[in-house]
Amino acid sequence: MTPAIAIKDLIKDFRIPGSDARLRAVDGLNLTIEREAIYGLLGPNGSGKSTTIKVLLGLLKASAGNCELFGTSSENASARIRVGYLPEAPYFQRFLTGRELLEYFGCLSGLKRAGANDRIDELLERVGLEDAGDRRVGSYSKGMLQRIGLAQALIADPDLLILDEPTAGVDPIGAADIASLITGLKAEGKTVLLCSHLLSQVEAICDRVAIMSRGRLLCEGTVASLTENTGKDSIRVDGLSKDGREAVETLANEQGGTVSAPSRSLEDLFLELARNTEDPL
Amino acid sequence: MSTTNERLHWSFLRVRVIAGNTFREAVRMKLFLAMTILAIGTLASSFLFQEFNFGSSELKFIADFGFGGMTVFGSALAVIVTAQLFYGEIEHRTALTLLAKPIYRSEFVLGKFLGAWATVACFLGMVTICLVFALWGRETSIMAEYPDQFESGRSVHYVAVIGFSAIQALRIGILCSIVVLFSTYASSSLFAMVMGVLIWIVGQLQHIATEAWTAGDSWLLKGVYAVASFALPNFHLFDVGDQLALGENLPGAIYGKLGLYALLYVSFYLAVAGASFNRREL
Ligand SMILES: Nc1ncnc2c1ncn2[C@@H]1O[C@H](COP(=O)(O)OP(=O)(O)OP(=O)(O)O)[C@@H](O)[C@H]1O
Ligand SMILES: [Mg+2]
Repeated sequence: MTPAIAIKDLIKDFRIPGSDARLRAVDGLNLTIEREAIYGLLGPNGSGKSTTIKVLLGLLKASAGNCELFGTSSENASARIRVGYLPEAPYFQRFLTGRELLEYFGCLSGLKRAGANDRIDELLERVGLEDAGDRRVGSYSKGMLQRIGLAQALIADPDLLILDEPTAGVDPIGAADIASLITGLKAEGKTVLLCSHLLSQVEAICDRVAIMSRGRLLCEGTVASLTENTGKDSIRVDGLSKDGREAVETLANEQGGTVSAPSRSLEDLFLELARNTEDPL
Repeated sequence: MSTTNERLHWSFLRVRVIAGNTFREAVRMKLFLAMTILAIGTLASSFLFQEFNFGSSELKFIADFGFGGMTVFGSALAVIVTAQLFYGEIEHRTALTLLAKPIYRSEFVLGKFLGAWATVACFLGMVTICLVFALWGRETSIMAEYPDQFESGRSVHYVAVIGFSAIQALRIGILCSIVVLFSTYASSSLFAMVMGVLIWIVGQLQHIATEAWTAGDSWLLKGVYAVASFALPNFHLFDVGDQLALGENLPGAIYGKLGLYALLYVSFYLAVAGASFNRREL
């Protein structure tokens, strides 16, 4: 079966206005993304993630190399038939209501008119905008724009989703909801390409990840193989009594080690507190 | 999951959806409110001259005023509205999501053009309605005052008034397509607007240049003129207001001739716009 995404020797240069110099945003990238998986594309700011995605969608032209979606060249509009895209920091026609926006994009993506309304209701609920669907998009907050952006990417039930920082600006509960939505998509047999800076989330949901820097691929593989613990000098002990704990501390100190309480991440704390209060939106 | 690759067919349905949404944007931007005020203002100002009471020649004055307003404001609106509706989409990055959908860029170009043109055509329609009412009302009261001047019935040929505005809609269609073309290339909406106004002025004055340049014997000037006169429309052809003496209709052939002329130029500019937009990076 053809892979969902195939990138071969991709180079993308940007002309710097007013000079002959060029900026190489993507530098000889090779990547194959198989179907029915969640793939994380990581890298620091300016490493060429969004540029790669835009070339994949035909929004930018490759300077060299080529990209294919389900075996069709990205330069061809047909390649986008089964693809949904959420741009980074999305911005939509502000004069439309959320519902109208989904109708509009639905029509353009070939959604049949019959059943469109049900689909829109379902998506609004899925992204947590059921109460805001009839408000103008211009009045949406940053996180709500991300949510409606996610809904429009899903509108025509695509097989491949390309999500560029879907959780940027979304509150932690929303981010957790989006993560479970993405895993749900995988269960439906869809492929997801995800760019994100939330590494703990990427670690939890992605099957494979690639890490880019300065337009080049640094490493690529399954999450398990990349995060395999090679340092053998820290251990974790659970279920000790008070005396037992003291004995372990004494022993550890004698051997030149230290014992410290495991830290709970701020994210865990926030989620726990916020989940106990009602009406998150 | 299917493994066969479907082919995307060029679809007029998507063009219509984009055009409809463009028109909706114009409505929600309250452009129509501004345009209605403009239309009524234009005609109301012609009534400032009412006290002169020229008899039936006053009607010609009102008609000329309305025609002038229609042409000048219509053209200005065509430039502003098209640049806003087309380039605005690139400027605000809304085009990014749109063009990542399975659509052809030529569908986007055509849809935006039709939406912008329909918007300005609505303005022309509103001015025309106001104008017909103004002429009718004034004619009725003049008829009562000077019945001897109206022995053979009403003097205004209302069909010709509507015909005139239809011809202006053609002129404005060409102008919209020019602004679309520049918008596909522009990096600011101001650029598209300035170029649009420039071509509008050049197209308006082209017939004057014809006399000056073809009279001289410089081959270079003649060559430049020959190219320019094909690439740029001659908007003076659409100034049929003078030919349209009140009480007479326009010759029927002129509609066909100008219609064809507009169709050729619009197709040409949109084809170039489509090609240019295909190469544009977003
Ligand atoms: N249209 C453009 N013109 C010129 N340079 C650009 C353009 N778009 C991106 N770049 C440059 O290309 C490089 C890669 O940018 P890109 O947006 O792909 O980074 P990114 O990995 O998505 O970063 P982030 O995590 O901040 O979103 C950057 O140096 C950026 O300045
Ligand atoms: Mg980015």
